[in-house]
Amino acid sequence: MLKCGDYDVLIIGAGIVGSAIARELSRYRLRAAVLDRAPELPFGQSRANSSMIHGGFDDECGTVKARFCAKGNAMYHALHEELDFRLIECGSFVCAQGEHEHRHLNKLYEQGKTNGAKGLEIVSGDAMREKEPNASGGITAALWCSSAAIINNFEASLAFIENACQNGVELFLETEVRGLIFDDCACEMRGVRTNRGDFYAPVVINASGVNSDVISRMAGDDSFIIHPTRGEYFIFDRAVGTLVTSFLFSCPSELGKGVTVAQTADENLLIGPTSVRQLDRDDRDTTPEGLEEAFSGALRLVPGIPRNMAITTFSGIRANIDRGDFYIKALDKPRGFVNAAGIKSPGFTSAPAIAAHVADLMKDAFGDILSFEPDPAFVPKRRHVPRFMYMSMDERAEAASKDPKWGQIVCRCESVTEAQVVEAIRRGARTVAAVKLLVRPGAGRCQGGFCAPRVVEILARELGVSPLEITRHGGNSYMLSGRTKDPLLPGEKK
Amino acid sequence: MNKTNLKANCTQHIDVAVIGGGPAGIAAAFSARREGAEAVVVFERDWEAGGILQQCIHPGFGLHAFGEELTGPEYAHRYLARAKDAGVEFSLNTMVFHMEPGRADEPVRFRTMNPEHGVRTVEAKSLVLAMGCRERPAGALGIPGARPAGVYTAGTAQRFVNMEGFMPGKQCVIMGTGDIGLIMARRMMLEGAKVEAVFEIMPWVSGLRRNIAQCLDDFGIPYYLEHSVCRLHGRERLEGVSVVRIGKDRKPIPGTERFIGCDTLLLAVGLIPENELSRMAGIEIHSVTGGPAVNDLLQTSRGNIFAAGNVVVVYDLVDFVSLEGERAGKNAARLAMGTFVPPARRLAVETDERIRVISPQYLTGAEDTTIYLRVAEPVEGRCRIFAEPGLFTQTLRYARPGEMNEITISASKLCALPADVTAVKIGLEVLS
Amino acid sequence: MRETRKFLCVSCPVGCALTVVLDGTNLLEVEGNVCARGVEYAKNEAVNPTRTFTSTVRVRGASLPVCPVRSRKPLPLREVFRVSREVAKLTLDAPLEIGQVIIEDVCGSGVDIVASRTLK
Repeated sequence: MLKCGDYDVLIIGAGIVGSAIARELSRYRLRAAVLDRAPELPFGQSRANSSMIHGGFDDECGTVKARFCAKGNAMYHALHEELDFRLIECGSFVCAQGEHEHRHLNKLYEQGKTNGAKGLEIVSGDAMREKEPNASGGITAALWCSSAAIINNFEASLAFIENACQNGVELFLETEVRGLIFDDCACEMRGVRTNRGDFYAPVVINASGVNSDVISRMAGDDSFIIHPTRGEYFIFDRAVGTLVTSFLFSCPSELGKGVTVAQTADENLLIGPTSVRQLDRDDRDTTPEGLEEAFSGALRLVPGIPRNMAITTFSGIRANIDRGDFYIKALDKPRGFVNAAGIKSPGFTSAPAIAAHVADLMKDAFGDILSFEPDPAFVPKRRHVPRFMYMSMDERAEAASKDPKWGQIVCRCESVTEAQVVEAIRRGARTVAAVKLLVRPGAGRCQGGFCAPRVVEILARELGVSPLEITRHGGNSYMLSGRTKDPLLPGEKK
Repeated sequence: MNKTNLKANCTQHIDVAVIGGGPAGIAAAFSARREGAEAVVVFERDWEAGGILQQCIHPGFGLHAFGEELTGPEYAHRYLARAKDAGVEFSLNTMVFHMEPGRADEPVRFRTMNPEHGVRTVEAKSLVLAMGCRERPAGALGIPGARPAGVYTAGTAQRFVNMEGFMPGKQCVIMGTGDIGLIMARRMMLEGAKVEAVFEIMPWVSGLRRNIAQCLDDFGIPYYLEHSVCRLHGRERLEGVSVVRIGKDRKPIPGTERFIGCDTLLLAVGLIPENELSRMAGIEIHSVTGGPAVNDLLQTSRGNIFAAGNVVVVYDLVDFVSLEGERAGKNAARLAMGTFVPPARRLAVETDERIRVISPQYLTGAEDTTIYLRVAEPVEGRCRIFAEPGLFTQTLRYARPGEMNEITISASKLCALPADVTAVKIGLEVLS
Repeated sequence: MRETRKFLCVSCPVGCALTVVLDGTNLLEVEGNVCARGVEYAKNEAVNPTRTFTSTVRVRGASLPVCPVRSRKPLPLREVFRVSREVAKLTLDAPLEIGQVIIEDVCGSGVDIVASRTLK
């Protein structure tokens, strides 16, 4: 088998949890690598979620989730500036429609206080509607949390992994773990076996989300099962983004946090998710029932959402763990295997706190085999690709005068210039989706109708390949099938 | 007319600005110069003017305007030549953003961006909005399934085929009988792809019958009314679609789903006027058309902003887009030159539920004008469109949503209406 | 030999659905038309349907890789794929002028294929 490298630590999964851990570990003189089966990041739950930084009231007291959610929330305020991703302190309302739901609000309030959530207050339906005039008249009371915030999940997730890589962590995409490598008695980790070859390290961290039980079982820990649970979402045109300013939630059920209506960090309107268990871990199809449920659930919160202003729908698969809580643990046997498994909501919020905890856990458990000497070259700050949309006129003028690619708009809906697309490619984007995730062409109201030909052309040019090689999201997802006329010419391969 | 050689980061002062260098914008600018405006500049985001015409390589343009049947690029060429001869200036590769709201007695201000000139501020005495429209994306329909490659709106596919020289796929299904979908069915076939079928959700065709004949019948491509694509198959690249019959209640009929293998789905499911800049300008947007509310001089709710073409209402024939573009340009020029006479009168155009879209929405009687409308549902038999009181009546053999109807209104007749008449009623009467 | 064909008339936007009976090239009956133009159209369409052909041709050294082309006049419908294949074989050098002949008398139809735009 091909040997891919020797490391101190391998992290399986480059979602927000794996990326936050990678970034945390990059503070030290450790040789780390992150492996992810995806062609572009983020891929799994980190790609399809509500982009919320939760207040921390929604988790049962004493759980690991509760511990890390409020902590993570607080950490984001410094992190978003360090790592240059947008964080909007929009606050959240959990909305009760009727007396029977008021109890729930009280429960959440008490829970939140115990968990250390900040800015909690129960308000009347009328008070709530003063802030959110488009909310349903049926809302009788609401739990307000001022410390809830919204981010752009792609941007935040990528910010962590980029900073990690900036600080020496190696990232391997399209790399799927097929098995683990142990010493002869399976007492110690030696590495992982992937589709690309073998990676060696004495410490392997499992942050693989939906498949974290599969990976854990490879290490002999089958103490939990993941029940893949689908959540479906809609995004609506920015013109209706202003229907709400904060996150609105309906009261939750056992399977999930309830349907949300929120204005995204990009000013669109987001509704969802649903919560449906399924067997297939990779099936991220949307369904007619799921979309209907998401939409009708949202209408209960904000009756005026115009269906015909939807611009896209998507679904994500939650890593719903049967234990009901994050499973973060360094195994005794095989030594070196660390589970950061079963992490779903509030996983995004908790990620920085999880990362700090995992680092501490590792220092305790592996201080004898790994050196946690701080790396003096660690750079905590990372810059996002400058966002033309938010630049001032002067900044735009200055950028264009230095590089005319800043004067060439590629995506009209989100005001993205050629310079940004080129930079995204320089940072590793190889697919149309990867460009979208980092710098946004294709995420706006026309959903790539205008910019797709341009993005394909720029990708082909920058990567030095034919446009026919460009895919939408890796694998076989080619954008184009061939040149015009080739199918008409004799002897051409069809 | 001097080419502006202004430096970057400065303010460009012009008489008439036109945003959008497609057929409406070119006509507006040409007409503004012809009327006598000095500095007339068209701001176009693409590297050449012509707008959507450059990718519409099929015939069907210019029968009215030039008395010949031209292709899109030929029509663009003719009109551009006229415009350039008239001294219109084109600012290409230029994006307009940051449109400022303001009053009619202030210049219109916006910012432009272009690789050569960087950022500039433009102050124009008047403006013609001619941004056209975009296509409704697949995502808006929320078709269940994954998000495989191979799903394109028909116009994007047209761009790839006719300008980039690439095929979006080999085996194609088309959703929607809008003209762009029908045109692309033929185009794909002629480039050697296989087009399996066209599915239309409504009980009627939304494009021209001529295109059914020459794009589908000619090639043996079947089309199915009251059908919809209900699922996408494939996670990386499209592998097929499921289609379902739609009942009279406009809901899918369970049990009628069937699978059609294909690697490409083209969508022709609606055009949406591009009014981001119009919204920024703070002008009134009409809730039905989705475009600026305009009077018969194509003046919007801000006196020195005019609008024409698909940004106002979606037309069938580019010839009418040019006519209306010229009207807007002429009036915008007059306003810039100080010769525009503020209309003395304003009548609202009222319709009933038989008529779905109409433009303009207000009449002034300042000049002879044309009202463009689309009926909500087809009437395949004799009917009458009229404008009351006593302004227009015409018997038609049929009325179809896919074919715009025109009502000519004489200025003198309008002005002769008693002062207490505040609205003109436009209607459709079905004759037996 | 009697043969019945159905097609839409495109002389005007009404698009009458015509049913035509012919014997070889003799038009015997036309039904479904509301005006005389339908009969004229049927005569041609039934016996020798023609269409304006449009496509693109490959170009080297221009700002676009393909240039739109058209048949100067309508040509026989049954030839369109042959014509399309003939156009497909070509790669021309820029510049092309609007109206420039790309293929003279394509497939012996008597009709030229010309460039539909100027491309540099």
